[in-house]
Amino acid sequence: MSVRVRVRNAETGSTVDMELEEENTVQEIIEGAAGYWEKDAGAYVIRKGKKLLRGQQTVLGASITHSDDLELIPDPEGG
Amino acid sequence: MHKWLIDQERMRPSIAEPAIIPLYISKIAEEKMRNHALSKAHEKLEVMGLMLGQVFNHDGVEYTIVRDVATTDLDASSTRVRFRRDGFEKLFASMDDVGFDHLVTGWYHSHPGHGIFMSPTDVDTQKGMFNSSFHRAVVIDPISKEIGAYRLGSGDVEPVPFVIYWEEYQNPYFGTTVRKRKLAD
Repeated sequence: MSVRVRVRNAETGSTVDMELEEENTVQEIIEGAAGYWEKDAGAYVIRKGKKLLRGQQTVLGASITHSDDLELIPDPEGG
Repeated sequence: MHKWLIDQERMRPSIAEPAIIPLYISKIAEEKMRNHALSKAHEKLEVMGLMLGQVFNHDGVEYTIVRDVATTDLDASSTRVRFRRDGFEKLFASMDDVGFDHLVTGWYHSHPGHGIFMSPTDVDTQKGMFNSSFHRAVVIDPISKEIGAYRLGSGDVEPVPFVIYWEEYQNPYFGTTVRKRKLAD
């Protein structure tokens, strides 16, 4: 069963809708969204509400459901 | 003029006529960033956070307003800083607590004792994440007491002028009314 979610880019406010399968991983969501905005997937995390979604979790395991709003958050490094 | 401004900014000619400044930072955001940097200055540890605000356009000139900042627990040394892997939920709570709709308009971090500049790592971060025209970076040295702001220009980072402003509710006179004194007969 597929679920449709909306991912918001916290840096720009723009959104993208994604059609996911239950076995898709959070990492794949990050890669899909980061790729859409031409960003480096390794420099971002994704959240659902106040919860960090872990890369290896599946859509099912992370309890991502239809119409969920997710947010792509930058994970910067300073030096 | 901010007392921590680097010499380069102090020497910038003052603006003769009203003009749009590329970056406006609220007093509360500036104090949080500066106090965060100062809190780890004695350990010479870098600090970092996200700047939250909005982007506006006036007569075709874009400018960024930083109204607040959000941060969390850090993995930090004197030359490197990142958010702790187990600190993200605290960061998200911090972002949600600001009480207004916001964009992540940039990031801030400190260079304790190293001065104000964008290191190669900082430039990579700016190019990789904060590469929209409105994104800004603030760098603070809490030991030399300097502060500077940057943006991505034509392929590289460049310093930008900024101003600190009071949110209306932060104005020490907010809510008070000046009343005309009643004159004695």
